[in-house]
Amino acid sequence: MAKPAVILIGADKGGVGKTTVARTLLDYFGTRQIPTRAFDTESPRGTLKRFHPDVTEVVDVASVSDQMKIFDTVGSAEAKVTVIDVRAGLLSSTLQALNNIGFIELGKTGQITLAMFHILGPSIASLEEIAETARFVGDANYFLVKNYINETLFFEWDPATYKSYFKRIKGAEEISIPKLNEMTCEQVEVASVPYVSFIANKNAKGEPSNYSFVLRGYVRHWLGRVWEEFDRVKLVDLVSPKSEKNIRQVAG
Amino acid sequence: MSIRHSVAIVASPRPRVGKTLLARLLTDFHLQEGRSVAAFDLNAGEGTLAQFLPEHVTRSAIDDLKGQMALFDRLMAEDGATKIVDLGRASFEHFFTLASQFGFAAEARRRDIVPVLLYLMTPDRTSVEAYRSLCGRLPEAMLAPVHNEVFGVAQYGNKYAPIGSGTVIVRLPLLASNVRRYVERPPFSFADSEAAALDVDDYIELQHWLRRIYREFRELDLRILLTAQQQAKSSKGDRAG
Repeated sequence: MAKPAVILIGADKGGVGKTTVARTLLDYFGTRQIPTRAFDTESPRGTLKRFHPDVTEVVDVASVSDQMKIFDTVGSAEAKVTVIDVRAGLLSSTLQALNNIGFIELGKTGQITLAMFHILGPSIASLEEIAETARFVGDANYFLVKNYINETLFFEWDPATYKSYFKRIKGAEEISIPKLNEMTCEQVEVASVPYVSFIANKNAKGEPSNYSFVLRGYVRHWLGRVWEEFDRVKLVDLVSPKSEKNIRQVAG
Repeated sequence: MSIRHSVAIVASPRPRVGKTLLARLLTDFHLQEGRSVAAFDLNAGEGTLAQFLPEHVTRSAIDDLKGQMALFDRLMAEDGATKIVDLGRASFEHFFTLASQFGFAAEARRRDIVPVLLYLMTPDRTSVEAYRSLCGRLPEAMLAPVHNEVFGVAQYGNKYAPIGSGTVIVRLPLLASNVRRYVERPPFSFADSEAAALDVDDYIELQHWLRRIYREFRELDLRILLTAQQQAKSSKGDRAG
């Protein structure tokens, strides 16, 4: 059986676009036919759940029973990839909890693939979290995600500051999420469907809908650029390194 | 299914090559064929399509999202109208960037709309390169390079190669300059050319010229029809497979 993969998406600050990144990931794996499940820790009401109700479960990461629900099933669930949208303010404590139950250790010893998507906000405080979280996950599969929700430059103008934070985690890869214009974001919000459904002009039930062609076009172009980033860091190879080999075997 | 449902984009990266004249003629042609027509004018200033055909033309701009939605969503609407876009030089690059990002031509084809690119050819490099780039960016669009005979008899087809074996050049014949004078002054209408009070010779010259260009448009229509049928056939094949 393929090695299960867990992707944590987090930031200590709210409003930096964790759920946006989670949604692009679910669409990305969905399109590539990699079975994926998601946990939304925005308990009791989850934003991710609203967009991807079929694969998402709302959980409370602080509760032991919910921890069991997530982590005891990682190896046995049908879905090979588990995406966890960690609520704002809970990143450090979630990592602490994972460390306590020995889950981080599983990642280090290679029994599961553990990846961290750390979504950065435009403030120094957000950069300081990197130091905080880095000590748990080491340098394994750490992605620093710059989400360009506004015109922030992420301190690229100040090489010293930039370097001191971004180079802190050895081997961390950077991912840039380009900006999607506000009106388009709002329309997808209103539609409450995955990005790929919006692009395909389908409603939540999969029936033909009537979204603006222009707005769909913007989502299409934007999602394409996000996925190029995922391709660039070889995300598929990370979560299912064997799938390619399997295909070759079948072909051979 | 309305098989003659098309979106014609009249374009060139050069100014003063006859885009608006061609858009006017095409609009009038479709109106005279009894079709519902919606034309869009992406030009600023005087002597534009909107001034000649105010009842059928919407002034458009694509600088902001609102303008983009007003134009592209309308072009994609399945309302049975033939659409014509007079694409000003200033909007040329932006329009095609958006069109290719949005997947405009492919979506149009899914909706049984044939996207037609009427490209006014000039022999300069800018124009030739822009055309080649468009071929790559909108592979689903039907190409109709236009030769405006006001620039002489040479069609530059060799420079525009590879135009493709299925592509036919649309010729915009030369109109005598004394008649052109009337034609280029709003509110001149080809549909109501008697109103311009031309003398008999000029009137005959104009009618003769119109007949030639309308014949070109009818041939274009047939190609659109053929393309639409092939499209329908291949999409049926897709569904069956």
